[in-house]
Amino acid sequence: MTTAFSSPQNSPASAPVIELAGVRKSFVVPGSEPLTILDIPSFRVAAGELVALEGQSGSGKSTLLNVISGIMRPDAGRVTIGGIDIMKLSEPQRDRLRADRIGLVFQQFNLLPGFTALENVLVAMAFGSRPTDRGRAETLLQAVGLGERLHHKPAALSIGQQQRVAVARALANRPRVLLADEPTASIDPAHQQQVIDLLQTTCRTEGVALLVVTHAPDVASQFPVRYRLEDFNLAAAAHAPAPGVQS
Amino acid sequence: MSLLGIAWRNIRQRALTSSLTALSMALGVALVVTTLVTGGVVKQAFESGAGLGYNMIVGAKGSPLQLVLNSVYLISKPIENISWDTYTAFLPAAERADGTDGIWAASTQTAVPICMGDYYRGHRVVGTNAAYFDRLSRGDGQPFAFSSGENFRDDDRYAAVIGSQVADTLDIAVGDAIAPTHGADDGKVHDPFRVVGILARTDTPVDRGVFVNMEGFYLQDGHAKPVAAAPADEGTENEGADEAAAAAPGDGRLPYSQREVTAILLETAALPGLPAELTAMGLRNAINEGRDAQAALPIAEIRVLLDLFVTPLELLFLLVTTLVVIVSSIGILVSMVGSALERSRDVAIMRALGARRRVVLATVLIEAILLAAVGGGCGWLLGHGVVGLIGPWIATNAGVTAGFLSFTPAEALLVPFLIVLAILAALLPAVAAYRTDVARWLG
Repeated sequence: MTTAFSSPQNSPASAPVIELAGVRKSFVVPGSEPLTILDIPSFRVAAGELVALEGQSGSGKSTLLNVISGIMRPDAGRVTIGGIDIMKLSEPQRDRLRADRIGLVFQQFNLLPGFTALENVLVAMAFGSRPTDRGRAETLLQAVGLGERLHHKPAALSIGQQQRVAVARALANRPRVLLADEPTASIDPAHQQQVIDLLQTTCRTEGVALLVVTHAPDVASQFPVRYRLEDFNLAAAAHAPAPGVQS
Repeated sequence: MSLLGIAWRNIRQRALTSSLTALSMALGVALVVTTLVTGGVVKQAFESGAGLGYNMIVGAKGSPLQLVLNSVYLISKPIENISWDTYTAFLPAAERADGTDGIWAASTQTAVPICMGDYYRGHRVVGTNAAYFDRLSRGDGQPFAFSSGENFRDDDRYAAVIGSQVADTLDIAVGDAIAPTHGADDGKVHDPFRVVGILARTDTPVDRGVFVNMEGFYLQDGHAKPVAAAPADEGTENEGADEAAAAAPGDGRLPYSQREVTAILLETAALPGLPAELTAMGLRNAINEGRDAQAALPIAEIRVLLDLFVTPLELLFLLVTTLVVIVSSIGILVSMVGSALERSRDVAIMRALGARRRVVLATVLIEAILLAAVGGGCGWLLGHGVVGLIGPWIATNAGVTAGFLSFTPAEALLVPFLIVLAILAALLPAVAAYRTDVARWLG
C-alpha cells in the first residue's frame, strides 16, 4: 500500500515551511515483503497556508505526520521544515526542532491527565528553546475560550474543551507549522465545525501553516488547499500533478 | 516548567501509588533510624559514663560489671555494701577521724563514697557528699554545672541535688521537698530532702539521678548497720582507724561504726616515679587480692559489655533493618515499573511535544529521588518520633537518655543511601521511558 496525492485546489506562492522530496517509508512485516506506506515524490506547504490532507483509514496519514514532525525517519528522501533538512539532524536536534517549530494536535488530544489546562501548555513550553511564558500560555487559553478553566484538569473538561487545550498547547512555542491528526474524529458533529474554525482562526492569527489530515471529505472541503491520499502506488497513479506535488 | 515540577506532577498524578511507595520507604528508614539512634545513644551513654572524673570503682565482691552498672549507670540490681573502714582507707589524714593517712591514700587523688538502695518516684537515690559535684567531672572533663541552685553543703544534711532529666520529668524546682522511699517497691517513705540544686544536662546517667547528702541518708530508717552485727575491723589493715571508726561524730550524725557505703568512686593518683596507669593497676590488684572489696575499671568493663552484647546486637539489628530498606527499594522498583507502564502514553506525549529522551529519563529519576527524599525524610522524622516516644521507657529500663533530638552520625548517610538505591531501582523504568516508541503510543 502506498500513498499518492491528488485533487489539488490551489498552489502556494510563498516559500515552503514543509517540503518533502522522494520520501519513502516501509514497514517490515514478518514473513512477507516490506510494506510500503509512503511514496511521495514531492510535497510542499507554504508559510501560513491552510492545508487539508484527505485519506481513508490506513492510507498513511499519521505516518506522514510522524515523518514530517521528525518522530519517524523515512527510509529515503528529504524532509525540510523551514528550510532545515531534518534528515541531517540528530534525534535530540529533531526533538528540539519539533518543540520549537512544530505544533501537534492529536485525534485523542493526548493531554497529560495529571496536569491542568495551563500546565499542559506550560509543559510544552518547557521543552522548547524559549523561556517558559506563563502570560502567553494564559493568553492562548483565553483565545480558545478557556480563560475560566485554566486550572482544570482534562478529566474536568468536556471533549471540545480538551481539544481547545490541545490547540493552545500546539501553539505554545510559536511554531511555524501546526500538524493536526484527525482533530475532529473524536468530536460530535455539532462541535466539529467549532474545532475547524478554531484551528483556522488561531493559525491565521498566529501566522502558522496548518496541515490537517482527515478522513472526512466535509472537513477537507473547508480548507483552501486540499490533497487526497490514495491507496495505490504513486508511480502507477493516473492522477494529474497537483499544486505542491511534483510527480 | 522545570523538570522538578513535571516530576512532582507525575507523582501527584499517581498519588495513591506514590504515597504507598513513600510510606514503605518511610517505615524502613524509621526502623533503621530507631535502631541506629537507640544503639548509638546506648553506646554513647556508656562510653561517656565511663569517664566521669574517676577511673576506678571499689565495691562489694561479686560481678565487676554489675558494680559498674550500679554505681555509674544507676541501673541493674542493687549490690551489697562495703564497710566504712574500706572507704576511709583511701582518705588522707586530714579527712580521717584518727588523723593518719589511710593505707591507700597515697594512691588516691579523689575518693567519693556513694550509698544506694532508695528510690524517688522510679529514680535511683544516691547518698553521697559534696565532693561528688565539687571534685568529679561530668565526663568530658568539664565540672558539673547547675541550671539552677547549687551543690549541697556537707553540713546541710537534708539537702539534695537532682539530675536534669529528673527535674524535667517530675517537674521539680529548687526549694521543693522530695521524700525517697526505701527500696523500689515497699513504699516506706523516708524524711524529705530539700532540693538545693538542679544540674545542667550532662547526657550521662547523672541526669537520671537524685543525689542526697549521705549524712541525711544515713539517718533514715533502716539505713544504719545494726551495731551488734557490725563486724570487727579485722579486714582493714589500718589498725589505728579502729577506735576512731567506732566513735560517734557526736553531733547527731550516724556513728561511723554503723555506716556502710555501696561503692567508692576513685580517681587514682600516680605514685612518685610510676606512671598513673601502673599505679592504678597495682591498686586494683591489691584491693582485689583482699577479702573486703573488689576494684573495677569502668572503661574496661563497659568495653567488655559493648564488645560482647551491644555491638553484636546493634549489628544484627542493623542487618535486619538494612534488609528492610532494600526490600523497600524493591518496592520502589515494582511501583515505578508499574507506573512506567502506566505512563508510557504520557512519555510518548512529552516526546511528541519535543522532550528529548534524556529529559524523560531524568524526569523518571527525579521522581524516584523525590519519592526517596520525601519517604526518607518522613521516615527519619518518624524514627526520631519513635525514639522520643520510647525514650522514657529506655531511660527507665536501660538507664540511657534518648529523645527526639538524639542523633548518630551514621544517620546522615541514610537518606543519601536510600536515594542511591531509589535511583538504581528507577533505572529500569527510566530506560523504558527513554526507549518509548512515540509513534506506537500515539499512532
